[in-house]
Amino acid sequence: MNQCYGCNTCKSADQPLEGFIRSLPMETSHHRVEGQSTKCGFGLQGVCCRLCSNGPCRITPEAPRGICGASADTIVARNFLRAVASGSGCYIHIVENTALNLKKTAQAKGELKGIASLNHLADIFGIEEEDNYKKAEKVADAVLADLYKPEYVSAELIEKIAYAPRVARWKELGIMPGGAKAEVFKGVVKCSTNLNSDPVDMLTDCLKLGISTGVYGLTLTNLLNDVLLGQPELRMAPVGLRVIDPDYINIMITGHQHTIFVDLQERLISEEAKKKAQAAGARGFKLVGCTCVGQDLQLRGAHYTEVFDGHAGNNYTSEAILATGAIDAVLSEFNCTLPGIEPICDELKIKQICLDDVAKKANAELMQFDFAHREEQSDIIIDKIIESYKERRGTVPLHLMEDHGNDHTLTGVSEGSLKDFLGGKWTPLIELLAAGEIKGIAGVVGCSNLTAGGHDVLSVDLTKELIARDILVLTAGCSSGGIENCGLMTPEAAELAGPKLRAVCKKLGIPPVLNFGPCLAIGRLEIVATEIASELGVDLPKLPLVLSAAQWLEEQALADGCFGLALGLPLHLGLPPFVTGSKTAVQVLTEDMKELTGGQVIINDNAKESANILEQIILEKRQGLHI
Amino acid sequence: MKHVIIGVGAAGITAAKTLREKDPSCSITMISTDTHVHSRCMLHRYLSHERNEDTLSFVEPDFFETNRITWIKGAPVRTIDVEQKLVCLENGSSQPFDQLLIATGANSFIPPVGQFREANNVFGLRNLSDAQAIRPLSDQADKILIVGSGLVGMDAAYAFLEQGKDVTVVEMADRILPIQLNETAGQAYKDLFEAHGCRFLLGKKASETHMNDQGAIDFVSLDDGTRIDCDLVIVAAGVRPALECAQDTPIDIDRFIKVSDTMETSCPNIYAAGDVAGLSGIWPNAMKQGQTAALNMCGIHTVYEDRYAMKNTMNFYGLVTLSLGRGVAEEGDLVLEEEDAHNYRRAILRNGKLDSILLQGKIDYSGIYQYLIKNQIDLSGRETDIFHLSFADFYGVKDNGGYQYQV
Amino acid sequence: MRRIMIDASKCDGCKNCTVACMQAHRETPGTIYDLDLTDIRNESRNHIEKMPDGSYRPIFCRHCDLPECVMSCMSGALTKDPQTGIVSYDEKKCGSCFMCVMNCPYGVLKADTATHTKVIKCDFCLLDNAEPNCVKSCPKKAIYVEEVSL
Repeated sequence: MNQCYGCNTCKSADQPLEGFIRSLPMETSHHRVEGQSTKCGFGLQGVCCRLCSNGPCRITPEAPRGICGASADTIVARNFLRAVASGSGCYIHIVENTALNLKKTAQAKGELKGIASLNHLADIFGIEEEDNYKKAEKVADAVLADLYKPEYVSAELIEKIAYAPRVARWKELGIMPGGAKAEVFKGVVKCSTNLNSDPVDMLTDCLKLGISTGVYGLTLTNLLNDVLLGQPELRMAPVGLRVIDPDYINIMITGHQHTIFVDLQERLISEEAKKKAQAAGARGFKLVGCTCVGQDLQLRGAHYTEVFDGHAGNNYTSEAILATGAIDAVLSEFNCTLPGIEPICDELKIKQICLDDVAKKANAELMQFDFAHREEQSDIIIDKIIESYKERRGTVPLHLMEDHGNDHTLTGVSEGSLKDFLGGKWTPLIELLAAGEIKGIAGVVGCSNLTAGGHDVLSVDLTKELIARDILVLTAGCSSGGIENCGLMTPEAAELAGPKLRAVCKKLGIPPVLNFGPCLAIGRLEIVATEIASELGVDLPKLPLVLSAAQWLEEQALADGCFGLALGLPLHLGLPPFVTGSKTAVQVLTEDMKELTGGQVIINDNAKESANILEQIILEKRQGLHI
Repeated sequence: MKHVIIGVGAAGITAAKTLREKDPSCSITMISTDTHVHSRCMLHRYLSHERNEDTLSFVEPDFFETNRITWIKGAPVRTIDVEQKLVCLENGSSQPFDQLLIATGANSFIPPVGQFREANNVFGLRNLSDAQAIRPLSDQADKILIVGSGLVGMDAAYAFLEQGKDVTVVEMADRILPIQLNETAGQAYKDLFEAHGCRFLLGKKASETHMNDQGAIDFVSLDDGTRIDCDLVIVAAGVRPALECAQDTPIDIDRFIKVSDTMETSCPNIYAAGDVAGLSGIWPNAMKQGQTAALNMCGIHTVYEDRYAMKNTMNFYGLVTLSLGRGVAEEGDLVLEEEDAHNYRRAILRNGKLDSILLQGKIDYSGIYQYLIKNQIDLSGRETDIFHLSFADFYGVKDNGGYQYQV
Repeated sequence: MRRIMIDASKCDGCKNCTVACMQAHRETPGTIYDLDLTDIRNESRNHIEKMPDGSYRPIFCRHCDLPECVMSCMSGALTKDPQTGIVSYDEKKCGSCFMCVMNCPYGVLKADTATHTKVIKCDFCLLDNAEPNCVKSCPKKAIYVEEVSL
C-alpha cells in the first residue's frame, strides 16, 4: 500500500490535478464525493421543510402537503427565496465593505489607482466635485445610502446604472428594489414559518433580490474596486499550481473582498518586510491566488506584478494548493473558504487568519479588518506568517506540481480593457457578430462544483462545445479558474474553436475564451452586454447572448442567476437548484419567465445537449435581429 | 433408513443437518476420531487461549440431541465392509448402514525433512488434537519455528505472537501467503507481522534438523546454512486426504476418494464429501458437498454445481483481504490496480470478464465478485468500474422479494 | 416467512431507513435526535445505491431461503431459523473470517468499520411480528413487510 488517502476521488476536467489529488495523503473534498453520492430525493427536489417543529415534512404521493398544509410549491419557493436572500446578503456584504473601504481611504487620502473609474462613476451618479478624494467619498456615500434605505424606499442608483429598457420593464413588473439590505431582510421574513405561501409572489421577490444583487453586489463592487485597486489591463500570466514559488513565503488568499488587502499588498513588498523574510530564509513574500479574490488580483495583475505570483486555482483546487506544502498561511475574508482546508492546514502547520468574521474558520485566528488600524494589522499578520514559515518550512515536505497549468493565459479582460483592445468602441465586435464570424456570446460563469460530472467537468466540456460552435465564451467566477488551468484561455486554444471563431482569434491573437475574473465580474459582462445593446438600440433579451452557471455551487450563484433572469437572459444550470419538486416553480422559471423578463432557466447536465440548446437560442435571437 | 456419517467436520455436520431436515424419521449415526466438534479455521484461537474446546464448536451444544443423532466419538474407523454394508471401527465394533457418507477430511502432511517425522516437538495444525498437543508445549516454548507461510502457518504465527513468543517463519517462496496473495498484498501482512515481532526467512527451505536426546528438535538448518534454534516446530506444508478407512476396499481412490457429481463413490449408497473427496479444501464448498450428498442419500437427486474454489478471505490484525481467482495475468488481460493508505485492490479481466480480484483493506459489499467470476458475467464497457460495482448494477427482485441478477 | 419487500421505483434515496437502522442497533440508548451520525460504530445494515439515471437501488438482506452466508460460516455464528426464516448472526461465536462477506452474492454484508471483527447483518430488529425500524421509517413505502412463500 502507498500513502494515498484514497483512490476514490471524483473526476476533474483538469486531469493532472485529478492525479495529483488522488496521490495526496490527506482527505479532500474530491475524496468525499463518493461517500455523499446517495443524495436524498426530497432534498434534491427541495421538498423537505424544516421550518417548524412539526417537521421535517417531506412531500410524497401519500403525503402531498406538510403538516401545516404547505404544498410542494410553497415549500420549494420558501426554500428557494431563503437561498436567494442569503446569497444576496453575501454580495451586499461585499459591496458594503468595499464602499466603506473606499470612503475611509478617501478620508485618509490614500492611494486611488483608478481615477478614470472614479470619474466614470461620478458622471453616472451625477456627482460634481473637483477634489478626487471628496469625489470618491461622495461616490461611496451614494452607494452606502442606497444599501441602507428601507425596503419601501426606492433605490436611486439602479436607474442610473441599469439599462433603461430593463428599468422600464422592471417597473412594469413591480420588481424595482428598495434598499438592498432591507430587501434581504424582507426576503427572510417572507419565507419564515407560516408566512408567505404564494410561490409566484416569492419567486417575484427573488427577481427583486437578483436586481439589487446584480447592480450593487456585482456591477458596483467591480467599479468601486477599480477606483481603489486599479483598472484591469490585458496581459499574459501564468496560472495553476506552477505559480507557487517555494523560495518565497507564500500566502494563499481566499474570498471576495479585495479592498481588505490594499494595505497588506503594499506592505508585503516593503523593504522592511523583505528584510524580515530574508532573515527567516526566504526571498520575500508572495500572494498566491485562489478563489475569486485571487481572480480579482489576477485581473488587476498589471498593478501587482511583484507581490502576486499568479492564480493557482479555484475553490475546489484550494486543498491541492495547500497540499503542495509551499503555502505558509491562508488569509481569508469570505467564501469560498472550504471547511475542508482546516485539517489540512493543521496537518501542514499552515497559519490561518480570517480578516472578516463572516467567514471565521473554526481553527483560524480572527483579526477583523479594521481600516483605522490597517497598518498595525498588516505588521502583525506579517510577523505571524513569518513565525509560521519558520516553524513549518523544512519540517513539512514539499509536494509541488511545477508543470501544472500554463504560463500564458490571457488575463485582465474587462469591459474597459476589451473595448480599448477593440479600438475604444464595440463596433468591431458587433460587426463580427453581424457577419456571423462570431455566432453569439456565452457567459460561462459562476462556481465550480464536484457533482456536475466532477470538478469543472461540465464547465470545461460546455465551453469546448460552445467555442466549437463559433460562440465566443466570456467567463467570470470560479469557472474561470478551472477553464484557465485547462488551457482554454491561451491563444493556442483557438485550435479548439469552430473555423470562424478560430480565424477571428488567430487574427486578433486572442483565445476563444476571455476571462473577466471573479464572479463579481458577472457585473462586467452585464456592462458589455448593455453597451452592445445600447449601440444596437435593442433591449438585452434580443441579443444573441446566453449565460451558463453550469457548475453553480452556492446561494450567491442563485442570487446571480436571478440577476441574469431579471436581465432577460437565458440561464443554463447543470444541476437544478432544488426546485424541481414544485411544478409551479419549474413552470415560472423555465417558461413563464420568457414573458415576464425575457429570461428562462435551462437545466441540463450534458455538455453537448446544453450547447445545442444554447446554440439554438442564439440562432433564434440572431433571426430576431435579422442577422 | 439408517445413515452413517464418518467425520464431524463441515461436510459431515452439514450432511447430518440436511438429513434430519429432509427425513425426520431416519436414523443418523456419526462416527469421528474427533472428540469435539470444532472449526479447524479457528484452531489458532485455541493456541492463543482466546477460545476453548467448547467455543471452537460451530454447532449448538445440544446439536446431537436436538437432531436425534447417535455420535460415536474418539473412534477411528478401521475399514468399510462394502458387501455387508458395515463400518468397522478400530475398537472392534461395527455399525451397519443403508447409506454412508465418508467425510473424514484431511490430515497434515509432514515432509521427510531431517527428523521432522520422528521428533516429538514437530506438529501440523489441522485438528483439535494437534492443537491440544501443541498448546502445553507452546505455552512453555520460547522459540517457535513455523515452516510454511500459508494460511495455517500464519494462523499459528499469529497465535504464538499473541503469546509473546519468538516466532520465525520459513517460506520457500519469496513472499508470504504466496498462493493467496501477490507481492504487494503479502507485503502488507509481512509488515504487520514484523511489527508484532515475527521474523521471516523467505526463499529458503528447511533442509536438516538436529534432534536432542529427549527426542526434540532443537535447531533446524536451512538450505543456505542458516541455523534456527527452536523449542517447537509447526509444519504448515499442506494436507493429505484422510482416506485410510477406504483403502483396500472396492471404493475407487485416485489420491482422493473419487465421486460422481452427486457425491457418490464408485460403490452405490456410499458417498464422500469435503477434503477427502478432493474437490476443494474450502469450508463453504465442504458444506455444500455435505448438503448435496445428504440430499442424494435421502433420494432427492441433486447435483453438486458450485465448484468454484479459488476463493479465500483472511483477517490478521484487523487487515482483511478477499482473494478470488488465480491472480495470474495472461497476455491480453486487463489488470487494474488501486492503492491508497488503507486499501490495495487488484483485478484481472479477461475478454471483458472478471478472472481474479484481490481486495485488501475494505471488503464491504464485495460478495458480488464471486458471482461475477463464477458466472463469467460480461462486464464489457465497464471494466474500469470494476472496483465500484455493486449489486445495484445487476439489480433484480423476484416476486417473492428475493434478489436476482439482471445481466 | 416474513420478508422486507422492496419497491425500488418508489425509493427516493432519503436514507431514512439507513438512519432508522443505525438507531435500532445503536449501543447506547437514546432518541433519533441524539443518534451520533458521525460515530462509525453506528452502522446501518442496509444501504442505498444511486444509479446514474437518478434511480435508487435499496440493498437489504433477503434472509435468503438458501443463504450463502450461512453456507460459508465456519464458526456457527450465522444460522437460519427454519421456523421464522430469519438468518441470524451471533457476534460472540463469529470467527471474523468474513467468508460470509465473500459469499453473499448480493453484496449485502460488510465487516464492521471500527474493529473489523464483526459482520454487519440485518436481524429483522429481532422482532417476530412488528415491522423492523427501517420499514417503519420509509416515507415512500418503498420497503414493506410481507409473508412470502419460498
